[in-house]
Amino acid sequence: MRWTLPGRLAVTTVALLTVVSTGCAPSDDDSSGSGDVVKLTFWGDWSGEGEQQFRTMTDAFNKTHPGIRVEYVVQEDMLTKFLTASTSGQAPDVMFWDRWRTATYAPKNVLEPLDERMKKDGIERERFYGEAVRELSHDGKVYGLPLTVDARALFYNRTHLKEAGVEPPRTWAELEKAAIKLTRREGGKLIRAGLSMDDVGLFSMYLHQAGGQMVTDDCSRTTFNSPQGTQALDLWGRMVRGGVYQTGFETGLGEGTDAFATGKVSMIFTGPWNITTYKKYGKDLDFGIVPPPAGPQGGKASLMGGFGLVIPRAAKQKDAAWEFVKWWTAERANALKWAKASLNIPGNVEAATDPFFTGDPFWKPILDTLEYAKVRPACAGYPPMEDEALIPNLQLFLGGKATAQQALAKSQEQGDRVLAQNNLG
Amino acid sequence: MTRTLATGPDIRGPAAGRPRHGRRPERSAPGRHQARAGRAFTAPAMALFLVFTVLPVAGAFGLSFTTYDVLTPPSWAGLANYGRLLEDETFFTTLKNILYYCAMFVPAMIAISLALALALSRRLPGMAIFRTVYFIPVVTSPVAAATVWAWMLNSHYGPINEVLGYFGIPGPAWVGDGSTAMMSIVIVTLWQGVGSNMLIYLAGLQNVPAHLYEAAALDGAGRWRTFLHITWPSLRTTTFFVTTLSLIGAFQLFDQAYVMTKGGPGNTTLTPVYQIYETGFNRLQMGYASAQAFTLFVIIVAVTVINMRVNRDQVPE
Repeated sequence: MRWTLPGRLAVTTVALLTVVSTGCAPSDDDSSGSGDVVKLTFWGDWSGEGEQQFRTMTDAFNKTHPGIRVEYVVQEDMLTKFLTASTSGQAPDVMFWDRWRTATYAPKNVLEPLDERMKKDGIERERFYGEAVRELSHDGKVYGLPLTVDARALFYNRTHLKEAGVEPPRTWAELEKAAIKLTRREGGKLIRAGLSMDDVGLFSMYLHQAGGQMVTDDCSRTTFNSPQGTQALDLWGRMVRGGVYQTGFETGLGEGTDAFATGKVSMIFTGPWNITTYKKYGKDLDFGIVPPPAGPQGGKASLMGGFGLVIPRAAKQKDAAWEFVKWWTAERANALKWAKASLNIPGNVEAATDPFFTGDPFWKPILDTLEYAKVRPACAGYPPMEDEALIPNLQLFLGGKATAQQALAKSQEQGDRVLAQNNLG
Repeated sequence: MTRTLATGPDIRGPAAGRPRHGRRPERSAPGRHQARAGRAFTAPAMALFLVFTVLPVAGAFGLSFTTYDVLTPPSWAGLANYGRLLEDETFFTTLKNILYYCAMFVPAMIAISLALALALSRRLPGMAIFRTVYFIPVVTSPVAAATVWAWMLNSHYGPINEVLGYFGIPGPAWVGDGSTAMMSIVIVTLWQGVGSNMLIYLAGLQNVPAHLYEAAALDGAGRWRTFLHITWPSLRTTTFFVTTLSLIGAFQLFDQAYVMTKGGPGNTTLTPVYQIYETGFNRLQMGYASAQAFTLFVIIVAVTVINMRVNRDQVPE
């Protein structure tokens, strides 16, 4: 059989159209048999192991809730997808939510406030870590429930500390001394850094330890160009002059080549997500964790982060979605089940204080840190302010290209502008 | 940095295709038929270009006069976004950074891809292998390549500084230092991009008439003079093509800066497209991001036009 060119084109077109139209049609074939089962779509951007952990929970929920069927869908580029989905009515029913984004999204009216449902079902805010709920709130309303909490603490290489004869530091003064003592140089070349100083974003933690504040309570101006800010940078400056660190030392090192896992840095401020990584990659790594050292006046502080579950305003099955969110986060047993499966500290306080965590030498210090850890200020202008104004200037300071005063003044000047421009909404 | 090679080597100089002055040549019947077929064949590409390029550009232009967060309908903002742009120190920093990048990247791109093409254009055994080797980076994922490069350029444990160390050269901190960070990105993007331009130059070299070389040989011209007076002028349109595409690609630098430096240290590698992405997708300020994008578009068009002018002025009449 021979086709003419137009004929072949026509056939191809028809075939393509068939594929496209059947592909796009709503596939409601498998709901026909199951009567009035409510179908929930749950979006998240965790794949691989994370996906398995989520499926453990959706399976458990589906088993105990015959009227509802949740399905987890991996969305690699979830937020972009959510932006377009919200406007075209294709929003999911439940979303895995990086909490700090609430300040940007809640004012846009795309997330469902949960206060009334919480009140009706007797779910008090106190069941969860207060800071985590605060991060999910806007204008007094709660827009999601905390699923996980994490906080930065000081991870230290036990072997290095023993060799150098130092104890895990509890104060800034001890941190400085330990960092300098742990550092190794050969012919002037840095071989081992006493303390990782790669993440200058940790400035806010040091500032809080010194008793300072990043921004005013209404988030309209920066307040870090203060004596406390100077104290923090002076500590960094003393450590850099003491040879502890050099910019670029950890560039490109991650996972299997991670500087802490491979013994190239002796101490690092990081979060519980790295416990598994370090156990996996650091075969010869004997490490411990302590809460962050206290500031010059004894101030304790750390950064809290973590995820939550939210229900989009455009969700079609809000009641069932709430059932699922409540079941997973507010019920102790389920929160704990997931926490154990995924090795994350749950946002549910009762579940978090289970012996599984409190009795573990790795998790216990993180839990202690969570007692006073604070989330980032919840306003839309804050993340851009850190990214655009503060971090670049702190990098210049660490690289020796600006003094502490210059870096702080410049950060303040640029930061105030960025706050003003990005808080408008 | 993907690009089509289709139009590359066959571009003819502006003079070559110009219709003769005076009487307009009448189209014969087969000519008309060809023109119709030509339109039919280009129609699908033009339709796609219209839908996926012209319309979005027009849309971005419209959005740049609004306040728009994707989630709620846009509201008219007049020239507010452009006013904000004038006071946005960070955006000017990104423009300064990208011009610095272009000034290093584009000349190096021309020199290296041409040198490679000249070296590989000789008919020797095994050339196909070398051509493949130099082309492989082009088909590598930019993000994956940048991740590996970031490790290779590590100041203390990266293989590059290790090798330099053997020769007693203290390697720089590369991406860790503001003065070398952009150069590191130049190196990585060159590695990734020379392959495709080398191919374009190879094709261009095949179009240089052999009799010119014979004449030059008869006149006793050496290698360098042959290159200067025959090869380089003959490749003028190819060079123009490579320069233009390299410039356009360079202005849109994103992947490598995002993966290797996150714009740092100290905003030294922050690029306009990086900033547009941040503004639009992380801060939900699509109106302002559109104003930034449109401004970048105008700058790219301006630079391309200047490049064309410069190139036209070099035409030996």
